[in-house]
Amino acid sequence: MEAETRKSPRYLFRALIIILIALIAFVVYYSIMEMRSSSKKMAEISDEYGFVKYEKLKLPENITTDSTFLSLFREQAYLQSRVAMAETDSVYLTINLTDSVINIEISGVVVHSTYIDEIEASKLLTNGDEFIITSLLSAPLTIVSDTSSIVKIPIVMKIAPKDTSEFIPDAIPDTAFYEPVNYIFETDRGINIIVYQSEEINQGDNKERFMFDLRHRLINTKAVMKDILAFKVPEYQLFIKIKIPSADAKIIYRAIPKHGQIGIYK
Amino acid sequence: MENEEINNEGLEPDTAKNPDDNSQTSKDVIIQIISSLRAKMQENRRLLFVLKAALITILSIIIPILLLLYIVYLVPALEESTSGHKTEITNNPELKTDAAYKKQIALMSKNIKQLSRKFNTYSSGQSYIVINTTENKFSLYKNKKLIREGLCSSGANKILQTQKMNYLFKTPKGKFSIMGKRKHPYWHRSDWDFIEQGLPVPPKDHPSRWEEGVLGDYALDLVDGYMIHGTIYKRLMGMPVTHGCVRLGDEDLEIVFNTLNIGSKVYIF
Repeated sequence: MEAETRKSPRYLFRALIIILIALIAFVVYYSIMEMRSSSKKMAEISDEYGFVKYEKLKLPENITTDSTFLSLFREQAYLQSRVAMAETDSVYLTINLTDSVINIEISGVVVHSTYIDEIEASKLLTNGDEFIITSLLSAPLTIVSDTSSIVKIPIVMKIAPKDTSEFIPDAIPDTAFYEPVNYIFETDRGINIIVYQSEEINQGDNKERFMFDLRHRLINTKAVMKDILAFKVPEYQLFIKIKIPSADAKIIYRAIPKHGQIGIYK
Repeated sequence: MENEEINNEGLEPDTAKNPDDNSQTSKDVIIQIISSLRAKMQENRRLLFVLKAALITILSIIIPILLLLYIVYLVPALEESTSGHKTEITNNPELKTDAAYKKQIALMSKNIKQLSRKFNTYSSGQSYIVINTTENKFSLYKNKKLIREGLCSSGANKILQTQKMNYLFKTPKGKFSIMGKRKHPYWHRSDWDFIEQGLPVPPKDHPSRWEEGVLGDYALDLVDGYMIHGTIYKRLMGMPVTHGCVRLGDEDLEIVFNTLNIGSKVYIF
């Protein structure tokens, strides 16, 4: 009896050690896989947008690091993207990361413009191969889905009255109603445009933003975990995080169609 | 002085012994504390159980939280810090003499000029109006210069549900043109106006369909019955209350009417 009671803590201790080792091993495995995702993404982008197209022109390969070439290439890519979007009658977005300006445009006319207070982007976008990244951004990005703290169209439902006795005039809309504005546009080329309101208008706005960010991170982690458990290198999410005034953030979110287009100048 | 020296001399052998003694005594103290704690714990098994339970509870809360923080915040941060190495931008004079390089640069410059020219043709040189439906504001431009801005009213984003069909009262977004201009416009009331008030819907050509004065002094026709017009509900200016049309104040409407021509562009976002 005594021997059994002496043994049980040892078994427990061993079990704990095994769990701890397994946990550490998983964390290490998770970290390695996640770290590999960015290089996998860069390799994918390189395959698709690399020098291949220019190889046919028999250009020297070091042209892709030449300052004059890159400056013209950037200009051309942004113009190409803007012209493509201007040819539609729809509302689209242009983000100029160099001048920190975000515009709403319709058919080449800037209808709303705002300065970006803060920009943060994936290192792959800011530090990655300039030529490849510019090639990636040379065509407009199309929004495939979005997540937001506000509704796209604040629809009100009203049931038609059967006769005049049931008629109730519409209430005057509450224009003072305020809600924090944070949203994410997921685009077709794997770049997430994350827009946060820059100012804290009401107490708790920063908490709301933190919770919004945490929710997004948890969704991403879930997706990464799925890949990792299937022994696959997870999908790396390129991102551009910008902070703009709340009113402008709201205008942009409501103006851009569900599957609207975005042009980026870097 | 001598006394001090003597005293110091006398102290030297003591200080030389001290490190071992001190460590020995401190070890003894620790052993004593531990053994007394053990003794106390053995005496009080309940306290031991509570301490163990508390430790396990704290660890089982802290470890998952730390793990989650590591996975959710630290790993992506590490991933970011290791990804992307700054491209080295060069300015090689030899490369600039290369014929293929020169040709490519010339081609790109030409492309940029063409694209710029094409893009500039999109931005209207004529007068145009921009309607912001989120803030219910308008801006009027002439020769690309802002000449007037103010409040307007746009669609209420309301769905009117009937047994037969639903009506959506929303201002359309995008690029439109002025299709027609009217002074002292009459309003031909649509079915939804009767339905919304619980009135029976009259035939299309019934006189009760025609109403004077409700659209203000001017109306500019856009598309599918949408208009820019005046209103008798002036206190609602700046609010989303319309059935899809854009309402302007009397003075603003007059300026807009006189500035815009048929074919002028209307940009709504």
